[in-house]
Amino acid sequence: MVKGRYLLTGVLIVITGIILAATVFPSEEKKVKKRFRLLSEWVSKSPEENAFTMLQKIKDISTLFLEPCELKAPNESLSGSYTRQEISAYAGSARSHFSQLNLKLHDLHVAFPEKEVAKVTLTARLIGKVQTGEQVDEIHELDCLLKKIDKKWFFSQIEVIEVLKK
Amino acid sequence: MAIPRRIRQFFFPSLTPLFLIRVCLVSVFAYLFFNYLCIPFTIQGISMEPTYLNGGVNFCWRLRYLFSDPKRPDVVAVRFAGNEVMLLKRVVACEGEQVEFRGGRLFVDGGGIEEFYVRFPCDWNLPSRRVEKDCVYVVGDNRSMPIESQYFGQTSKNRVVGGPLW
Repeated sequence: MVKGRYLLTGVLIVITGIILAATVFPSEEKKVKKRFRLLSEWVSKSPEENAFTMLQKIKDISTLFLEPCELKAPNESLSGSYTRQEISAYAGSARSHFSQLNLKLHDLHVAFPEKEVAKVTLTARLIGKVQTGEQVDEIHELDCLLKKIDKKWFFSQIEVIEVLKK
Repeated sequence: MAIPRRIRQFFFPSLTPLFLIRVCLVSVFAYLFFNYLCIPFTIQGISMEPTYLNGGVNFCWRLRYLFSDPKRPDVVAVRFAGNEVMLLKRVVACEGEQVEFRGGRLFVDGGGIEEFYVRFPCDWNLPSRRVEKDCVYVVGDNRSMPIESQYFGQTSKNRVVGGPLW
C-alpha cells in the first residue's frame, strides 16, 4: 500500500515536471506557431479599436518580419521585397479600409528543412467588414519561410499558393 | 417508481474494466472515422446555393475517389493546406477539356452543357481555356454572384479530398 502511494507520487511528480518543462522551455515548433498567433492577433481589428491600439498593432506587425521580406503572389503587382517600414505602411493602409477584421489561421504544418529555418504551410482566412459595410471573406494557402535570428523567429518569405486557377 | 434495471444500466453503467475498454474502443474508432474518413463540416457562404445552403451541415466522405476520378457533375471538397477549411464546388470539366462561359452558359469542348443544378440567372463570360493534366475545373452552383467574387477554376486532383455524403 505504501509502495503504491510512493509510486503514484513519483508518477505525479514526473508528469508535473514534463508539463512544467514544456511550458518553461517551449519547443521550436511552439515558438514558430506563437509568431503566427501574434500575427493573427495584430492583424485582427475589433470595431471598438482605438487609435492608440491601432498604431501599436501596426508597429508590432512589422517587428515580426525580417528586412527585407519577400512576398510571392499569383497577382504579380503584389509580389516583391518589402522593408519593415513598407510592411507597416501597407498594414496600416489595409486595416484602415476595414471596420472589423479577423485573421484566422488553420492547418499549420511546421517543418525545419535547415538549421534555424522553418517552413510553414497553412490556410489563412480573412473575414471582415469594409467601412462601406461590405463583407469580405478571403481564403488563401500560404507557404511561409521563417528564419531564427537572436533566438527569435522572423518571417522572411511568404508565398500565396494558387489553389484555384481561373 | 423503480426504474427498470436495463434502463438504469444504460444511463448509469457500472465502471467495469470491460466497459472502460469498450468506451476506449468506441472513442478511438469515432476519432479515426470522423477525422480521416467522414469529416463533418458546416457550409459557410452562398456559392453552392441552391444545392447547398449557407449554414448547412454535411460530411466529407474521403473514400469517394479512392478508386475513381472526379467527373462532371460531381460535387467535391477541395482542400487548402489541410482539412480544416475546404471549398465545396462542382466539377464542370476534366483534364484535357476546353471550358468557357458565354452569356452565362457553360461550354465544354465547344458544346453547351445543360446544368440542371444552376437555378439562378447568370451572365458570366470567360474566355476558353484547357484544363491541364491531372486537374479538374470546379465552379459553384450559384452563378448569380459576380464572376470576380466567386472562387472557381482548375485545381489539382490531389486537392480533391472527397465529396459530400448527401
